[in-house]
Amino acid sequence: MFFDPTILQSGQYHDWLVQGLVLSIQLTVISFAFALPFGALVAVMRTSSLAPLRAIGATLVEAIRNVPLLAHLLFWYFAFPELLPESAREVLYANNPEVVCAVIALSLYAGVHMAEDIRSGIRAIPATQLEAARSLGLGRIAAVRLVLLPQALRASVPPLLSQTVNLWKDSSVATVIGAAELMYQAARVETASFRSLEAFTFATLAYLTVSLLISAAAYLFQRRYPVRTA
Amino acid sequence: MITRRHLILGAFALGAPFAASLAHADQLADVKQKGQIVFGVLGTDEPNSFIEPKSRQLVGYEIDIANAIAKKLGVKPVFKQISVAARIPELQQGHVDILAASLTHNKERESQVDFALTHFVTGSKVMVRAASGITGLPQLAGKKVLTVRGGTQETNIRKAVPNVEVVTFENTQQAFQALRQGKGVAYVNDESSLLSDYGKLGPAAKGFTILSPSIGNEPLALGLRKGEKGLKAVVDQTLRELESSGAAEQLFNKWYGPGTRTNLAKRSFKIHTDRI
Repeated sequence: MFFDPTILQSGQYHDWLVQGLVLSIQLTVISFAFALPFGALVAVMRTSSLAPLRAIGATLVEAIRNVPLLAHLLFWYFAFPELLPESAREVLYANNPEVVCAVIALSLYAGVHMAEDIRSGIRAIPATQLEAARSLGLGRIAAVRLVLLPQALRASVPPLLSQTVNLWKDSSVATVIGAAELMYQAARVETASFRSLEAFTFATLAYLTVSLLISAAAYLFQRRYPVRTA
Repeated sequence: MITRRHLILGAFALGAPFAASLAHADQLADVKQKGQIVFGVLGTDEPNSFIEPKSRQLVGYEIDIANAIAKKLGVKPVFKQISVAARIPELQQGHVDILAASLTHNKERESQVDFALTHFVTGSKVMVRAASGITGLPQLAGKKVLTVRGGTQETNIRKAVPNVEVVTFENTQQAFQALRQGKGVAYVNDESSLLSDYGKLGPAAKGFTILSPSIGNEPLALGLRKGEKGLKAVVDQTLRELESSGAAEQLFNKWYGPGTRTNLAKRSFKIHTDRI
Protein backbone atom coordinates (compact mmCIF):
# COMPACT_ATOMS: atom_id res chain seq x y z
CA MET A 1 0.00 0.00 0.00
CA PHE A 2 1.32 3.43 -0.84
CA PHE A 3 0.22 5.16 2.38
CA ASP A 4 -0.98 3.08 5.31
CA PRO A 5 -2.39 5.36 8.05
CA THR A 6 -3.24 2.43 10.36
CA ILE A 7 0.34 2.15 11.59
CA LEU A 8 0.07 5.73 12.85
CA GLN A 9 -3.19 5.27 14.70
CA SER A 10 -2.40 2.34 16.99
CA GLY A 11 0.16 -0.34 17.62
CA GLN A 12 3.86 -0.35 18.37
CA TYR A 13 4.98 2.20 15.76
CA HIS A 14 2.28 4.62 16.92
CA ASP A 15 3.53 4.23 20.51
CA TRP A 16 7.14 4.97 19.51
CA LEU A 17 6.13 8.09 17.57
CA VAL A 18 3.97 9.39 20.41
CA GLN A 19 6.80 8.79 22.93
CA GLY A 20 9.07 10.75 20.62
CA LEU A 21 6.57 13.60 20.33
CA VAL A 22 6.22 13.75 24.12
CA LEU A 23 10.00 13.91 24.61
CA SER A 24 10.32 16.62 21.94
CA ILE A 25 7.71 18.71 23.74
CA GLN A 26 9.44 18.11 27.09
CA LEU A 27 12.82 19.12 25.65
CA THR A 28 11.32 22.31 24.23
CA VAL A 29 9.42 23.30 27.38
CA ILE A 30 12.36 22.69 29.72
CA SER A 31 14.83 24.43 27.41
CA PHE A 32 12.45 27.38 27.04
CA ALA A 33 12.12 27.64 30.82
CA PHE A 34 15.90 28.00 31.10
CA ALA A 35 16.46 29.98 27.90
CA LEU A 36 14.08 32.87 28.54
CA PRO A 37 15.48 33.95 31.95
CA PHE A 38 19.03 33.38 30.68
CA GLY A 39 18.24 35.49 27.61
CA ALA A 40 16.72 38.26 29.67
CA LEU A 41 19.77 38.28 31.97
CA VAL A 42 22.22 38.46 29.06
CA ALA A 43 20.16 41.18 27.38
CA VAL A 44 20.18 43.28 30.53
CA MET A 45 23.94 42.68 30.88
CA ARG A 46 24.51 43.88 27.33
CA THR A 47 22.53 47.07 27.89
CA SER A 48 23.91 47.85 31.34
CA SER A 49 25.98 50.93 32.12
CA LEU A 50 28.85 48.82 33.50
CA ALA A 51 31.47 47.99 30.85
CA PRO A 52 32.60 44.61 32.28
CA LEU A 53 28.99 43.36 32.26
CA ARG A 54 28.55 44.51 28.67
CA ALA A 55 31.77 42.71 27.69
CA ILE A 56 30.74 39.43 29.33
CA GLY A 57 27.30 39.60 27.74
CA ALA A 58 28.71 40.28 24.29
CA THR A 59 31.25 37.44 24.61
CA LEU A 60 28.60 34.94 25.64
CA VAL A 61 26.33 35.89 22.77
CA GLU A 62 29.02 35.82 20.11
CA ALA A 63 30.64 32.60 21.36
CA ILE A 64 27.39 30.65 21.47
CA ARG A 65 25.60 32.16 18.51
CA ASN A 66 28.38 31.64 15.97
CA VAL A 67 28.77 27.89 16.51
CA PRO A 68 26.25 25.51 14.89
CA LEU A 69 23.78 23.80 17.20
CA LEU A 70 25.06 20.42 16.06
CA ALA A 71 28.54 21.31 17.31
CA HIS A 72 27.06 22.45 20.64
CA LEU A 73 25.21 19.17 21.09
CA LEU A 74 28.26 17.06 20.28
CA PHE A 75 30.40 19.18 22.62
CA TRP A 76 28.03 18.96 25.60
CA TYR A 77 27.48 15.22 25.13
CA PHE A 78 30.90 13.88 24.14
CA ALA A 79 33.40 16.49 25.34
CA PHE A 80 31.94 18.21 28.41
CA PRO A 81 31.38 15.10 30.59
CA GLU A 82 35.04 14.16 30.16
CA LEU A 83 36.00 17.49 31.71
CA LEU A 84 33.89 16.89 34.80
CA PRO A 85 35.29 15.29 37.96
CA GLU A 86 34.64 11.54 38.26
CA SER A 87 31.77 11.80 40.77
CA ALA A 88 29.88 14.47 38.79
CA ARG A 89 30.29 12.40 35.66
CA GLU A 90 28.83 9.30 37.34
CA VAL A 91 25.81 11.31 38.47
CA LEU A 92 25.31 12.68 34.96
CA TYR A 93 25.57 9.26 33.30
CA ALA A 94 23.11 7.74 35.74
CA ASN A 95 20.45 10.33 34.90
CA ASN A 96 19.68 10.30 31.19
CA PRO A 97 22.75 12.19 29.91
CA GLU A 98 21.29 12.43 26.39
CA VAL A 99 18.34 14.55 27.54
CA VAL A 100 20.35 16.57 30.07
CA CYS A 101 23.06 17.50 27.55
CA ALA A 102 20.43 18.28 24.91
CA VAL A 103 18.64 20.64 27.33
CA ILE A 104 21.93 22.41 28.20
CA ALA A 105 22.86 22.89 24.55
CA LEU A 106 19.36 23.97 23.45
CA SER A 107 18.89 26.35 26.41
CA LEU A 108 22.17 28.14 25.77
CA TYR A 109 21.65 28.32 22.02
CA ALA A 110 18.05 29.54 22.21
CA GLY A 111 18.92 31.73 25.18
CA VAL A 112 21.45 33.86 23.36
CA HIS A 113 19.16 34.29 20.36
CA MET A 114 16.39 35.35 22.73
CA ALA A 115 18.86 37.70 24.43
CA GLU A 116 19.38 39.55 21.18
CA ASP A 117 15.63 39.82 20.62
CA ILE A 118 15.03 41.07 24.15
CA ARG A 119 17.88 43.54 23.72
CA SER A 120 16.05 44.94 20.66
CA GLY A 121 12.95 45.17 22.82
CA ILE A 122 14.89 47.04 25.52
CA ARG A 123 16.25 49.46 22.93
CA ALA A 124 12.69 50.05 21.70
CA ILE A 125 11.64 51.40 25.10
CA PRO A 126 12.32 55.17 25.33
CA ALA A 127 15.19 55.97 27.68
CA THR A 128 12.86 58.32 29.53
CA GLN A 129 11.10 55.31 31.07
CA LEU A 130 14.21 54.19 32.91
CA GLU A 131 15.09 57.77 33.88
CA ALA A 132 11.60 58.32 35.26
CA ALA A 133 11.83 55.09 37.24
CA ARG A 134 15.19 56.07 38.75
CA SER A 135 13.94 59.57 39.56
CA LEU A 136 10.99 58.04 41.40
CA GLY A 137 13.51 56.44 43.73
CA LEU A 138 13.62 52.88 42.35
CA GLY A 139 17.07 51.26 42.56
CA ARG A 140 18.89 50.10 39.40
CA ILE A 141 17.75 46.47 39.64
CA ALA A 142 14.20 47.36 40.70
CA ALA A 143 13.87 49.84 37.83
CA VAL A 144 14.95 47.21 35.32
CA ARG A 145 12.77 44.52 36.86
CA LEU A 146 9.58 46.57 37.36
CA VAL A 147 9.65 49.13 34.56
CA LEU A 148 12.06 48.19 31.77
CA LEU A 149 11.79 44.42 31.39
CA PRO A 150 7.98 44.08 31.37
CA GLN A 151 7.73 46.65 28.60
CA ALA A 152 10.70 45.21 26.74
CA LEU A 153 9.29 41.67 26.86
CA ARG A 154 5.99 42.82 25.43
CA ALA A 155 7.78 44.59 22.62
CA SER A 156 9.90 41.52 21.83
CA VAL A 157 7.06 38.98 21.63
CA PRO A 158 7.08 38.69 17.80
CA PRO A 159 10.80 37.85 17.52
CA LEU A 160 10.59 35.71 20.68
CA LEU A 161 7.79 33.77 19.04
CA SER A 162 10.09 33.02 16.10
CA GLN A 163 12.83 31.93 18.49
CA THR A 164 10.46 29.62 20.34
CA VAL A 165 9.31 27.99 17.10
CA ASN A 166 13.01 27.67 16.14
CA LEU A 167 13.70 26.05 19.51
CA TRP A 168 10.88 23.58 18.90
CA LYS A 169 12.26 22.67 15.49
CA ASP A 170 15.87 22.60 16.76
CA SER A 171 14.92 19.97 19.32
CA SER A 172 15.03 17.57 16.37
CA VAL A 173 18.83 18.01 16.13
CA ALA A 174 19.14 16.29 19.53
CA THR A 175 18.71 13.04 17.62
CA VAL A 176 22.46 13.02 16.92
CA ILE A 177 23.29 12.51 20.60
CA GLY A 178 20.77 9.72 20.97
CA ALA A 179 17.90 11.64 22.60
CA ALA A 180 14.83 9.60 21.63
CA GLU A 181 12.74 12.52 20.39
CA LEU A 182 10.35 12.64 17.42
CA MET A 183 12.84 12.50 14.52
CA TYR A 184 14.80 9.71 16.23
CA GLN A 185 11.62 7.67 16.65
CA ALA A 186 10.49 8.41 13.09
CA ALA A 187 13.83 7.08 11.79
CA ARG A 188 13.44 4.07 14.05
CA VAL A 189 9.97 3.35 12.63
CA GLU A 190 11.40 3.67 9.14
CA THR A 191 14.17 1.17 9.87
CA ALA A 192 11.79 -1.31 11.46
CA SER A 193 8.96 -1.10 8.95
CA PHE A 194 10.39 0.55 5.79
CA ARG A 195 7.34 2.85 5.90
CA SER A 196 9.23 6.11 5.63
CA LEU A 197 6.31 8.08 4.14
CA GLU A 198 3.98 7.40 7.06
CA ALA A 199 6.64 7.96 9.73
CA PHE A 200 7.84 11.28 8.34
CA THR A 201 4.28 12.46 7.58
CA PHE A 202 3.48 11.97 11.26
CA ALA A 203 6.60 13.89 12.24
CA THR A 204 5.84 16.73 9.81
CA LEU A 205 2.25 17.08 10.99
CA ALA A 206 3.35 16.99 14.63
CA TYR A 207 5.95 19.74 14.11
CA LEU A 208 3.44 21.83 12.16
CA THR A 209 0.69 21.45 14.75
CA VAL A 210 2.84 22.40 17.72
CA SER A 211 4.37 25.36 15.83
CA LEU A 212 0.87 26.65 15.10
CA LEU A 213 -0.10 26.16 18.75
CA ILE A 214 2.94 28.20 19.83
CA SER A 215 1.91 30.95 17.40
CA ALA A 216 -1.63 30.89 18.77
CA ALA A 217 -0.31 31.17 22.33
CA ALA A 218 1.84 34.16 21.35
CA TYR A 219 -1.13 35.81 19.67
CA LEU A 220 -3.25 35.40 22.80
CA PHE A 221 -0.39 36.77 24.94
CA GLN A 222 -0.12 39.82 22.73
CA ARG A 223 -3.83 40.46 22.98
CA ARG A 224 -3.76 40.19 26.76
CA TYR A 225 -0.53 42.23 27.19
CA PRO A 226 -0.34 44.63 24.29
CA VAL A 227 2.54 47.02 23.79
CA ARG A 228 1.53 50.34 25.28
CA THR A 229 2.80 53.14 23.11
CA ALA A 230 3.89 56.24 25.03
CA MET B 1 -6.72 34.24 -13.48
CA ILE B 2 -6.07 30.52 -13.21
CA THR B 3 -7.41 28.91 -16.35
CA ARG B 4 -8.06 25.27 -17.14
CA ARG B 5 -4.81 25.31 -19.15
CA HIS B 6 -2.84 26.16 -15.99
CA LEU B 7 -4.48 23.30 -14.11
CA ILE B 8 -3.72 20.77 -16.84
CA LEU B 9 -0.10 21.92 -17.13
CA GLY B 10 0.24 21.78 -13.36
CA ALA B 11 -1.11 18.24 -13.30
CA PHE B 12 1.45 17.20 -15.92
CA ALA B 13 4.27 18.87 -14.00
CA LEU B 14 3.35 17.02 -10.83
CA GLY B 15 2.74 13.76 -12.62
CA ALA B 16 5.88 13.79 -14.75
CA PRO B 17 8.27 12.43 -12.07
CA PHE B 18 5.95 9.49 -11.43
CA ALA B 19 5.65 8.73 -15.12
CA ALA B 20 9.40 8.99 -15.58
CA SER B 21 10.07 6.48 -12.83
CA LEU B 22 7.79 3.92 -14.41
CA ALA B 23 9.73 3.79 -17.67
CA HIS B 24 13.31 2.73 -16.91
CA ALA B 25 15.72 0.74 -19.01
CA ASP B 26 17.68 -2.25 -17.75
CA GLN B 27 20.27 -1.06 -15.23
CA LEU B 28 23.02 -3.28 -16.69
CA ALA B 29 22.69 -1.58 -20.07
CA ASP B 30 22.61 1.85 -18.37
CA VAL B 31 25.79 1.14 -16.44
CA LYS B 32 27.67 -0.12 -19.50
CA GLN B 33 26.55 2.90 -21.46
CA LYS B 34 27.57 5.38 -18.74
CA GLY B 35 30.93 3.67 -18.35
CA GLN B 36 30.82 3.82 -14.57
CA ILE B 37 29.06 2.12 -11.70
CA VAL B 38 28.36 3.78 -8.35
CA PHE B 39 28.89 1.66 -5.22
CA GLY B 40 27.36 2.82 -1.93
CA VAL B 41 29.88 2.05 0.82
CA LEU B 42 30.14 2.86 4.50
CA GLY B 43 33.80 3.84 4.61
CA THR B 44 33.64 3.62 8.40
CA ASP B 45 33.43 -0.14 8.92
CA GLU B 46 36.93 -1.56 9.17
CA PRO B 47 37.90 -3.89 7.46
CA ASN B 48 34.92 -4.08 5.07
CA SER B 49 35.36 -0.54 3.83
CA PHE B 50 37.37 2.15 5.55
CA ILE B 51 39.72 5.02 4.81
CA GLU B 52 43.36 4.07 5.11
CA PRO B 53 44.95 6.78 7.29
CA LYS B 54 48.23 7.08 5.40
CA SER B 55 46.98 7.09 1.81
CA ARG B 56 43.51 8.44 2.67
CA GLN B 57 42.04 6.03 0.13
CA LEU B 58 38.95 3.87 0.55
CA VAL B 59 40.12 0.29 1.01
CA GLY B 60 38.65 -2.92 2.35
CA TYR B 61 37.22 -6.37 1.70
CA GLU B 62 34.06 -5.04 0.05
CA ILE B 63 36.01 -2.40 -1.89
CA ASP B 64 38.12 -5.16 -3.43
CA ILE B 65 35.00 -7.14 -4.35
CA ALA B 66 33.44 -4.00 -5.85
CA ASN B 67 36.58 -3.37 -7.92
CA ALA B 68 36.42 -6.95 -9.22
CA ILE B 69 32.80 -6.46 -10.29
CA ALA B 70 33.57 -3.17 -12.02
CA LYS B 71 36.47 -4.85 -13.83
CA LYS B 72 34.17 -7.67 -14.99
CA LEU B 73 31.63 -5.15 -16.28
CA GLY B 74 34.38 -3.16 -17.94
CA VAL B 75 33.38 0.12 -16.29
CA LYS B 76 34.93 2.52 -13.80
CA PRO B 77 33.99 2.03 -10.14
CA VAL B 78 32.87 5.15 -8.24
CA PHE B 79 32.47 4.96 -4.47
CA LYS B 80 29.92 7.00 -2.56
CA GLN B 81 30.07 7.03 1.22
CA ILE B 82 26.67 6.69 2.85
CA SER B 83 25.42 6.20 6.40
CA VAL B 84 24.03 2.95 7.78
CA ALA B 85 20.47 4.31 7.92
CA ALA B 86 20.59 5.74 4.39
CA ARG B 87 21.75 2.59 2.57
CA ILE B 88 18.45 1.21 1.30
CA PRO B 89 16.82 4.61 0.60
CA GLU B 90 19.87 5.71 -1.45
CA LEU B 91 19.73 2.50 -3.49
CA GLN B 92 15.99 2.77 -4.07
CA GLN B 93 16.23 6.39 -5.15
CA GLY B 94 18.94 5.62 -7.64
CA HIS B 95 21.75 7.61 -6.02
CA VAL B 96 23.86 4.43 -5.94
CA ASP B 97 23.76 1.41 -8.26
CA ILE B 98 24.96 -1.32 -5.88
CA LEU B 99 25.30 -1.38 -2.10
CA ALA B 100 28.59 -2.73 -0.77
CA ALA B 101 27.93 -1.51 2.76
CA SER B 102 28.00 -4.41 5.24
CA LEU B 103 24.36 -5.02 4.34
CA THR B 104 22.79 -7.98 6.14
CA HIS B 105 20.60 -10.22 3.99
CA ASN B 106 17.37 -10.88 5.89
CA LYS B 107 13.74 -11.66 5.10
CA GLU B 108 12.44 -8.17 5.95
CA ARG B 109 14.78 -6.51 3.48
CA GLU B 110 14.01 -8.95 0.65
CA SER B 111 10.87 -6.92 -0.10
CA GLN B 112 12.96 -3.78 -0.57
CA VAL B 113 16.12 -4.90 -2.35
CA ASP B 114 17.60 -7.89 -4.16
CA PHE B 115 20.71 -9.54 -2.74
CA ALA B 116 23.70 -11.01 -4.54
CA LEU B 117 25.51 -14.11 -3.28
CA THR B 118 26.39 -13.87 0.40
CA HIS B 119 30.02 -12.81 0.53
CA PHE B 120 30.60 -12.78 4.28
CA VAL B 121 28.97 -14.43 7.26
CA THR B 122 29.36 -13.09 10.76
CA GLY B 123 27.37 -12.92 13.95
CA SER B 124 25.99 -9.93 15.77
CA LYS B 125 27.64 -9.75 19.18
CA VAL B 126 27.79 -7.57 22.27
CA MET B 127 30.89 -5.90 23.71
CA VAL B 128 30.59 -5.00 27.40
CA ARG B 129 32.67 -2.93 29.79
CA ALA B 130 34.48 -5.36 32.07
CA ALA B 131 33.82 -3.07 35.04
CA SER B 132 30.07 -3.61 34.72
CA GLY B 133 30.45 -7.25 35.78
CA ILE B 134 28.10 -8.41 33.03
CA THR B 135 28.94 -11.93 31.86
CA GLY B 136 25.74 -12.96 30.11
CA LEU B 137 23.01 -11.48 27.92
CA PRO B 138 20.17 -11.68 30.50
CA GLN B 139 22.15 -9.35 32.78
CA LEU B 140 21.68 -6.61 30.19
CA ALA B 141 17.99 -6.27 31.10
CA GLY B 142 17.26 -2.70 32.12
CA LYS B 143 20.77 -1.57 31.21
CA LYS B 144 21.78 0.92 28.53
CA VAL B 145 23.14 -0.53 25.27
CA LEU B 146 24.67 1.64 22.55
CA THR B 147 24.71 0.97 18.84
CA VAL B 148 24.33 2.52 15.41
CA ARG B 149 21.01 3.66 13.99
CA GLY B 150 19.30 2.06 11.01
CA GLY B 151 20.89 -1.41 10.95
CA THR B 152 20.00 -4.85 12.27
CA GLN B 153 21.80 -4.26 15.58
CA GLU B 154 18.93 -2.65 17.49
CA THR B 155 16.43 -5.28 16.32
CA ASN B 156 18.78 -8.10 17.33
CA ILE B 157 19.52 -6.86 20.84
CA ARG B 158 15.87 -6.08 21.57
CA LYS B 159 14.93 -9.62 20.50
CA ALA B 160 17.68 -11.14 22.65
CA VAL B 161 17.05 -8.99 25.76
CA PRO B 162 13.44 -7.78 26.00
CA ASN B 163 13.87 -5.05 28.64
CA VAL B 164 17.02 -3.49 27.32
CA GLU B 165 17.36 0.27 26.91
CA VAL B 166 18.88 1.05 23.52
CA VAL B 167 20.42 4.39 22.50
CA THR B 168 21.47 4.72 18.86
CA PHE B 169 23.90 7.09 17.17
CA GLU B 170 24.55 8.25 13.62
CA ASN B 171 27.55 6.00 13.10
CA THR B 172 29.39 3.15 14.79
CA GLN B 173 32.31 5.41 15.82
CA GLN B 174 30.12 7.61 17.97
CA ALA B 175 28.43 4.61 19.55
CA PHE B 176 31.81 3.03 20.35
CA GLN B 177 33.11 6.36 21.68
CA ALA B 178 30.08 6.61 23.96
CA LEU B 179 30.83 3.08 25.23
CA ARG B 180 34.45 4.02 25.96
CA GLN B 181 33.27 7.11 27.83
CA GLY B 182 30.97 5.01 29.97
CA LYS B 183 27.65 6.28 28.71
CA GLY B 184 26.40 2.71 28.38
CA VAL B 185 27.44 -0.75 29.53
CA ALA B 186 27.41 -2.48 26.15
CA TYR B 187 27.89 -1.93 22.42
CA VAL B 188 26.34 -4.07 19.68
CA ASN B 189 27.81 -4.62 16.22
CA ASP B 190 28.86 -7.32 13.76
CA GLU B 191 31.45 -9.62 15.31
CA SER B 192 34.01 -8.78 12.61
CA SER B 193 33.67 -5.04 13.35
CA LEU B 194 33.82 -5.67 17.12
CA LEU B 195 37.03 -7.65 16.75
CA SER B 196 38.49 -4.88 14.66
CA ASP B 197 37.53 -2.21 17.23
CA TYR B 198 38.83 -4.41 20.05
CA GLY B 199 42.15 -4.67 18.28
CA LYS B 200 42.28 -0.89 17.89
CA LEU B 201 41.90 -0.33 21.63
CA GLY B 202 45.43 -1.49 22.38
CA PRO B 203 46.15 -1.63 26.13
CA ALA B 204 42.65 -0.33 26.93
CA ALA B 205 41.21 -3.59 25.54
CA LYS B 206 41.55 -5.10 29.01
CA GLY B 207 38.54 -3.05 30.08
CA PHE B 208 36.23 -4.67 27.54
CA THR B 209 34.94 -8.16 26.77
CA ILE B 210 33.02 -9.53 23.82
CA LEU B 211 30.23 -11.80 25.06
CA SER B 212 30.29 -15.13 23.25
CA PRO B 213 26.59 -15.71 22.44
CA SER B 214 25.67 -14.43 19.01
CA ILE B 215 22.42 -12.42 18.95
CA GLY B 216 21.90 -12.69 15.21
CA ASN B 217 23.35 -14.39 12.20
CA GLU B 218 24.51 -11.76 9.75
CA PRO B 219 25.06 -12.96 6.17
CA LEU B 220 26.40 -9.89 4.38
CA ALA B 221 25.62 -9.49 0.70
CA LEU B 222 25.73 -6.80 -1.96
CA GLY B 223 22.41 -5.02 -2.40
CA LEU B 224 20.81 -4.42 -5.79
CA ARG B 225 17.62 -2.68 -6.84
CA LYS B 226 14.64 -4.98 -7.06
CA GLY B 227 14.14 -6.63 -10.45
CA GLU B 228 17.59 -5.92 -11.89
CA LYS B 229 18.18 -9.49 -13.06
CA GLY B 230 20.82 -8.61 -15.63
CA LEU B 231 23.09 -6.82 -13.19
CA LYS B 232 22.55 -9.47 -10.51
CA ALA B 233 23.58 -12.20 -12.93
CA VAL B 234 26.90 -10.44 -13.65
CA VAL B 235 27.55 -9.73 -9.96
CA ASP B 236 26.81 -13.34 -8.96
CA GLN B 237 28.99 -14.61 -11.78
CA THR B 238 31.91 -12.43 -10.63
CA LEU B 239 31.53 -13.69 -7.07
CA ARG B 240 31.46 -17.33 -8.23
CA GLU B 241 34.61 -16.76 -10.26
CA LEU B 242 36.36 -15.16 -7.29
CA GLU B 243 35.44 -18.17 -5.17
CA SER B 244 36.45 -20.85 -7.68
CA SER B 245 39.78 -19.20 -8.46
CA GLY B 246 40.66 -18.97 -4.77
CA ALA B 247 40.75 -15.17 -4.92
CA ALA B 248 37.84 -14.90 -2.49
CA GLU B 249 39.69 -16.84 0.19
CA GLN B 250 42.79 -14.74 -0.41
CA LEU B 251 40.73 -11.58 0.07
CA PHE B 252 39.34 -12.99 3.30
CA ASN B 253 42.82 -13.75 4.60
CA LYS B 254 44.08 -10.35 3.51
CA TRP B 255 41.48 -8.45 5.54
CA TYR B 256 40.30 -10.86 8.24
CA GLY B 257 42.85 -13.63 8.38
CA PRO B 258 45.78 -14.37 10.68
CA GLY B 259 47.93 -11.35 11.36
CA THR B 260 45.19 -8.80 10.81
CA ARG B 261 43.47 -6.94 13.64
CA THR B 262 40.46 -9.26 13.42
CA ASN B 263 42.78 -12.26 13.31
CA LEU B 264 40.36 -15.04 12.37
CA ALA B 265 42.18 -18.33 11.91
CA LYS B 266 40.08 -19.72 9.09
CA ARG B 267 37.19 -18.73 6.85
CA SER B 268 34.03 -20.49 8.03
CA PHE B 269 31.92 -19.99 4.90
CA LYS B 270 32.09 -20.18 1.12
CA ILE B 271 30.60 -17.77 -1.40
CA HIS B 272 28.05 -19.97 -3.10
CA THR B 273 24.46 -19.04 -2.28
CA ASP B 274 22.06 -16.14 -2.03
CA ARG B 275 19.53 -18.04 0.07
CA ILE B 276 19.32 -17.41 3.81
